[in-house]
Amino acid sequence: MHGELKHEDVEAARRDLADRTLAKIRGDLARLIYLASMRDYNTGEYHHEGLACRFGESVAGRAIASCHGDAFSRLVLCSVKKLVEELELYVDSNCSKVSELVRVWEKLQPYRIAVPLECSPVVARFFASNIRAALAILQSRQLRARREELSALPGP
Amino acid sequence: MSTLASFVVAAVTILSVCLLLSRRGGRRDFDREGFGTGQETSLPGGSDSLTSELSARIFDPEDLNFVASEASRQLTRQFRRERTTLALDWLRAVRGQVNQLIRAHLKASRGNPDFKAADEIRLGFEFLLFQLTSGILYLAIWAFGPPRAAKLVGYSLELAGQLRKVTKDVLPAGHQVAVEIMDSKQEPQS
Repeated sequence: MHGELKHEDVEAARRDLADRTLAKIRGDLARLIYLASMRDYNTGEYHHEGLACRFGESVAGRAIASCHGDAFSRLVLCSVKKLVEELELYVDSNCSKVSELVRVWEKLQPYRIAVPLECSPVVARFFASNIRAALAILQSRQLRARREELSALPGP
Repeated sequence: MSTLASFVVAAVTILSVCLLLSRRGGRRDFDREGFGTGQETSLPGGSDSLTSELSARIFDPEDLNFVASEASRQLTRQFRRERTTLALDWLRAVRGQVNQLIRAHLKASRGNPDFKAADEIRLGFEFLLFQLTSGILYLAIWAFGPPRAAKLVGYSLELAGQLRKVTKDVLPAGHQVAVEIMDSKQEPQS
């Protein structure tokens, strides 16, 4: 079915998604989570109401899959240092606390289901390993900052 | 003479150890991760560019240095262990694809009227060289970790790419068979 889709249509849908929606989301990690959330767990197909209305279900699905793959590639190929910055940005834009995000992500590991379907197991494991390291670094930075804050307080 | 004999013994030992390690690792992988279709990586020039680009990141010392400077020793050790396992998995997958390519080539070359012994010997030599280099690389990663083995990676990948090219040049039909087999592996197994 995908073979019948016109490349130009998919490109137009991609641009539309990037300009109208993805541009407003801060950071590739947030974009990745957003794009992965549009995927049906059972079929692996992507759904976006507005995009499907404009371009059709198949073109929209293909465009989202393509954007998802791009966001994932950028994150997989970036350094752990950059990944820590991405996590900080993600926490910041979601108005949540670092400790809360680390606790929940360590338990639920949502980054595992944010991986594109066609991704190879080695790449998926590499990504998960980097995210785990970035989360641990974020946590240790926060603990260090809290310790410094406490030590800066005047003694009794 | 004795130098040659010791070289042959060393080569055979390295190959045997690598074969043993890769087989053992393959079983361990199967037990550890339940997902995936077995299509782990691609040879240079293959379609999965992300996995090819990944080798640069796996073997780059930047991440390890960063984790060591920011996190505890325990986390650094764990991160190093994970990177070593990933590098070994990546190499095992590359070796697996080369082996598959050669098997497909041998299958296609059987009974082929264009069979040229000289080209086959050349291919056999390249294959042996790849096995030896990737075997040494396997041991180097296992013993010293990915960043220190980084220099050998380029050479191994170059040889893998060369093998792909040679199988294509020597017997185009064989390459077609290989490509068909590699493509069919990407489809989900029922």
